[in-house]
Amino acid sequence: MAEGVAAAAGVAAVAEPGAGPATRLGTGIGWRPEIAGIVAELPGLRFCEVIAEAIDPAAPPRGVAELRDRGVPVIPHGVRLSLGSADGLDPERVAHLAACADALDAPLVSEHVSFTRVAGRDAGHLLPVPRTREALDVLVANVARVQAELDVPLALEPVAALFDWPGDEFTEAEFLTRLLDRTEAWLLLDVANVHANAVNRGGDPCAVLDGLPLDRIAYVHVAGGSEHPGDTAAGDPGVYHDSHTDPVPPEVFALLGELCDRRLPPAVMLERDGRYPPAAELAAELAAISAAARFAPPAARAAAAGQVVPAAAGVAPGVLR
Amino acid sequence: MSAGLAARQAALVDALVAGAPVPDGFDPVRLATTRRALLRKRAGEAARHWPLLAAALGPGWPAAVAEALDGVPPGGSLRDGWDVARWLRAAGRLPAGAVDELAAREVATRYDGSGAPRARRAPAVRRGRGSVFVQVGGRTLRLRLRNR
Repeated sequence: MAEGVAAAAGVAAVAEPGAGPATRLGTGIGWRPEIAGIVAELPGLRFCEVIAEAIDPAAPPRGVAELRDRGVPVIPHGVRLSLGSADGLDPERVAHLAACADALDAPLVSEHVSFTRVAGRDAGHLLPVPRTREALDVLVANVARVQAELDVPLALEPVAALFDWPGDEFTEAEFLTRLLDRTEAWLLLDVANVHANAVNRGGDPCAVLDGLPLDRIAYVHVAGGSEHPGDTAAGDPGVYHDSHTDPVPPEVFALLGELCDRRLPPAVMLERDGRYPPAAELAAELAAISAAARFAPPAARAAAAGQVVPAAAGVAPGVLR
Repeated sequence: MSAGLAARQAALVDALVAGAPVPDGFDPVRLATTRRALLRKRAGEAARHWPLLAAALGPGWPAAVAEALDGVPPGGSLRDGWDVARWLRAAGRLPAGAVDELAAREVATRYDGSGAPRARRAPAVRRGRGSVFVQVGGRTLRLRLRNR
């Protein structure tokens, strides 16, 4: 209940950014059918995210509907909208994302800074766009198109990639900052992606954090991936693949700490997409994320909730509260 | 919207999933790494739709997927796994543990190898391993054979 109110207040804060004290919602998880039973019982779950393409807005999965009805904010997360497609968006996919937001009473929706489809082809994967003015114009136009159909804010997630386009005109941070400025979208920052990009494409992950508008963060993703050996004969050193199938590695926890040193994010969630651990392990990982993100443990929060606090005080900016 | 960028994006996708040459300016080693990563990801996703096939191949599953689907644009994990199963069958390498899975799919659903699989309207019969699958009116029966 309180969360539902807070989520609505969060949306209001978008109209007046910085109007309130810093919002600290807490920790969430990506809802997946395989772990629906575990997610329903997770202690201190403050929000969740669902893959928009896996949802029928007319009949959301029961587990998701139950979380929504409990007042747990549910965020539809698109993975196939292809906001970076230079030949435009598929109107049906835009309508689907908007319908998911409506059906789930979502405080916001999110998608990626990438393209998956173009000119009748489908890569089946989130591919990077070139960091150029031309690609920026494409993204801005497509994002505006989506925002026009949404009743809630949109957050954009930079992706992990294994390669760069030739002819980049901006650094990753410059490109994203311009995109967020021009679209007024929020940032969904995946620290595991920042880590993966630093490992695979070189560069200092902390410099990326320093260059991003951290006050635009709506929420944060963390996940664990795996390392794959490369073909050394071909000069391929191997890669860190952000597969969401492993425990969150210490390097990603460290980067979450670096982020929190710079600015405490409103909300942080775990993405897990396979090789699911037992419930206790998943709960322990969420607790570790909560601690790393410096959220109050559930007991302290319960004590705080016992005090008389004006509605929506203590929860603040950011779209998600 | 931006014809030049759209063409460059299409050329990149073709290089990654359709066997086209690496477009100018890209690092060929990095694109090859990406191509392999995409095939590995497709293997993981296809295994969810084809659990017996993936289990029968065990640790050899990702390599089989990479071999069968390199240069084949993704058509979704159901079709990806189906393509792998047919490719293995054509090569005489379909594991015994996956024969029934493929037969049960093919008796219920028509897949032409390029479009989306569709439920069969007409009755069909497919032989599995020690079983025959019979589909009538959308219901599939599995009949065990006594003497093989």
